Amino acid sequence: MFKNYIKLALRNLWKNKIFSGINIIGLSIGLAVCITIMLFVQYEKSFDSFHTKNIYRLDEVQSWEGMVQPQKVALSMYPMASTLKNDFPEVITATHFHFNPATSVKYNDTKIFFKRSYWADSNFFKIFDFKLAKGDRKTALREPKSIVLTNESAEKLFGKEDPLGKTLSTNNSRDTIQFIVTGVLEPLPKNSHLQFEVLYSFNSFVGPETLNEWGGNWTITYLELSPNANIKALEKKFPAYLQKYMGKDATKGYKLFLQSLPEVHGHSGDITHDYNNFQKFDSDYTQVFFIIAIIVLLIGCINFINLSTARSSGRAKEVGVRKSIGAHRSQLAFQFIGESVLLSLIAMILAIVLVKLFLPYINNLSGHELEFSVFTNPVLLLKVIAGTTLIGIISGIYPALYLSAFKPVQVLKGTLLSGNNKSFTRNALVVSQFAGAAFLIIATIFVVKQLNFMQNRDTGFSRDQIVMLPGAYKNWYRLKDELSKNTLIKSVSGSTQRLGNNLHQTGVAFYGDGPVKELATSHVLVDHDFLSIYEIKLSAGKNFTREGEGHEIIINETMAKELLKDSPNATIESLIGKRMQMDEDSTTTLVGVCKDFNFNSLHHKIETLCLYNKKQGGYSDVCVKIDGARTEEALAYTKSVWEKIIPNYPYEYQFLDDHFAQMYEADKKVSKVVSILAALAILIACMGLLGLASYSTEKRVKEIGIRKVLGASVLNVVSLLSKDFIKLVIVANIIAWPLGWWVVSKWLQDFAYRIDMSWWIFALAGLSSLLIALLTVSTQTLKAAKNNPVKNLRIE
Amino acid sequence: MIELKNIFKWVNQGSNKTFLLRDINLTINEGEFVSIMGPSGSGKSTLLNVIGMLDEFDEGEYFFLEKNIKGMKEKQRSQLYKEHIGFVFQAYHLIDELTVFENIETPLLYQDMKSSERKAVVADALDKFNIVGKKDLFPTQLSGGQQQLVGIARALIGKPKLLLADEPTGNLNSKQGEEIMELFRKLNKEEGVTIIQVTHSEKNAEYGSRIINLLDGRIEK
Repeated sequence: MFKNYIKLALRNLWKNKIFSGINIIGLSIGLAVCITIMLFVQYEKSFDSFHTKNIYRLDEVQSWEGMVQPQKVALSMYPMASTLKNDFPEVITATHFHFNPATSVKYNDTKIFFKRSYWADSNFFKIFDFKLAKGDRKTALREPKSIVLTNESAEKLFGKEDPLGKTLSTNNSRDTIQFIVTGVLEPLPKNSHLQFEVLYSFNSFVGPETLNEWGGNWTITYLELSPNANIKALEKKFPAYLQKYMGKDATKGYKLFLQSLPEVHGHSGDITHDYNNFQKFDSDYTQVFFIIAIIVLLIGCINFINLSTARSSGRAKEVGVRKSIGAHRSQLAFQFIGESVLLSLIAMILAIVLVKLFLPYINNLSGHELEFSVFTNPVLLLKVIAGTTLIGIISGIYPALYLSAFKPVQVLKGTLLSGNNKSFTRNALVVSQFAGAAFLIIATIFVVKQLNFMQNRDTGFSRDQIVMLPGAYKNWYRLKDELSKNTLIKSVSGSTQRLGNNLHQTGVAFYGDGPVKELATSHVLVDHDFLSIYEIKLSAGKNFTREGEGHEIIINETMAKELLKDSPNATIESLIGKRMQMDEDSTTTLVGVCKDFNFNSLHHKIETLCLYNKKQGGYSDVCVKIDGARTEEALAYTKSVWEKIIPNYPYEYQFLDDHFAQMYEADKKVSKVVSILAALAILIACMGLLGLASYSTEKRVKEIGIRKVLGASVLNVVSLLSKDFIKLVIVANIIAWPLGWWVVSKWLQDFAYRIDMSWWIFALAGLSSLLIALLTVSTQTLKAAKNNPVKNLRIE
Repeated sequence: MIELKNIFKWVNQGSNKTFLLRDINLTINEGEFVSIMGPSGSGKSTLLNVIGMLDEFDEGEYFFLEKNIKGMKEKQRSQLYKEHIGFVFQAYHLIDELTVFENIETPLLYQDMKSSERKAVVADALDKFNIVGKKDLFPTQLSGGQQQLVGIARALIGKPKLLLADEPTGNLNSKQGEEIMELFRKLNKEEGVTIIQVTHSEKNAEYGSRIINLLDGRIEK
């Protein structure tokens, strides 16, 4: 009997090629989207799952006087690791590391520049399960001057030589230190939020005196807690802990909280200074992707349901006959569900091919290494088959119940209304399909628009043709002088931090007319040409001067407002010339107020900022404005100068524009995925509409013939046939608009600078969905309307 | 075998009842070959459908093989006709997507017969109706007469006691019609199949052992 059904089903599929094609293609796209997103979700959830201990990351909430809003940071203080371990029995082990973005390592003649190096303590390998290929994990980071390399870094430096015990020299910002290789790591799992190239033993750089240095937030701390530790209770004890070591006021500026390791990757969206969170991606977005994928799949399923029921009269006779020769309704329902499962399984095969085909592209897009090992992983294959079968059953149930309910007498006598077009269920399903599609159109337009807005918005400073060169430090003046000699270089400046990164905070004291104001602010130490190279405008006072190095400060307008908060009548000018200092020894004066500019991504509001005209150079970042017309030459020139002056530090450059583009990497991913999914959703929905339109015009061929004989024009007929579908699409839009409004406005709240919810976008989405639907339907209706009526009528 | 007592069937049209069957009293014994005649709309097909349990009636009593049909559930009823009744339709009603062999085989699928046994039974039937050569063709590749032959073979495959035929020759030319009627007579005489047919044709009616005339849903005495 089973074989019989399969044979029958295949013949039916073959006979109705358009119907089967629409269903199979629609379902396979839906399935392929679902499989891909599932792989993505699975990968996202797998982050850090290879660690076995009960690990938490220690984070801070900083809320200092002068900050626009409190900020959560993935940073903590150096003494915290050891004191937490001593003070709280729940803490089994504590480790911390410091992230260093630029170190260079030399072995014989091979010199390598590492962008991701950690200063890590000996507990690092106790807490984390990174595997060592060589060396002893217990002692590898214990002694000063120890270095552990990843297997990739080791290969670069040593080739086939055994690195263990070899001596390397590193060239940090200041001096050259010798390190002994004590371990080589196996390749790091890609789904680890910690990604590094090299680990230096922490005690190579800091001594025991650092244990008393509270207040500096420059390490990242991880704790292993006992399995039954009560996190909430532990967090409640933190304020007292802070007060114990930092004094009563500590809790005003700091709050500590814990993040379980599996949450670090996906739930750190609002945490800043989170540089050691590889491929950080908000799990909210993962969920959004998942939901959209389900919508796409549902749209495919709805096609099946709609086309099956619309075509019901074609199968009605079969139902009647089968019933009259003894089939139970349940047997028939089983047969129809079986057919739908079979169709889904065919779609699944196509979907597997699609996923295999497009996965490299998707990996490229997401930066992930998703694998679809369906042929080698029987569990995965089974899951896919089971999921597909379930989808087949779900989409088959309604048509099965609908079809199997036909009464043989009615069907066989031909009194059944053949293919009635006014099915409420079918209309509701078409509406929900197009509501989904219209919603996705709206979302796509807003996402793309917001992204454009962020990338093109005037940030208040110029990034054009600015190249960043990291690692100058003490050679700064020579480098600047040498570079400035050539006309290829328009201007040279330097800073201790790069714009576009989360700037570090510091405390400043302002000696105004009233009492001394102490507040926290973002700060950068800069060269005196900083404002001019970035074309940042002044609103009051004057620019830095070369002579003023070491005693000039310029603040931004937000800072000025903060300082003038208590004296509403005072002007910005009144601030100029006042004493303002960043540490107790310096004697610095506020010389100017610059216009606000977005030194961070547009997700963030502009914070208070203090620029300090630094003495003696020592900038980590050199910014060079080059001649845009001769980029190649200019880059070659900077390279030659760099290699002459700083031969033991590699020349690496990045355009500031690219650096800023990187900040919107996650947003770009979201916008690409959403627009691709939206396009697919619309495609599938239109295929369904095409099927329905073709079916309904086929059913009304006689009516069309009669109308034409009676004098109806082609336009009359087309509008008659399209009217019903267009109505549905309009209703769908009316449902989609408020939904889109709500979701989009929630999404936009994540951006400090956002586009307006303009009504015309909704109108545009409505109009385009209407147009797409109209075009789809008219391919069928036009054909029917243009037919010679005599032909149509002769059939009868 | 069949006993109808005061059967009424009506449909409501607005506040009026339109009677399709009025007070039908009819007994048919095993082995009979009954022809139901009457003008269009007289209720012939309705009566046949009621007998075949494809349609319901509103009043009266119906005993099939001494079992009261009225109180039966849908499932029991279909069990009953599945076992005992075969249908032949004017428009043949073969399943277009199935071959001749598969069409004939279908009723056996619903009787849970084993595959090997099924093949043998169908092969016998093909042989008996002389359509072995056509077994792999689809209905659309056959002439009307051949299609009806397949229809009859399918109706008889489950060895029913009763064959109900609704104008079995209505779509056929007279020669093909005659052949079908001869076949009916043979089945009735030699295999003892009870046959009830609805027909317009006096000539076809003559093949039967009894004629029932219907007019406006009533049996004419």
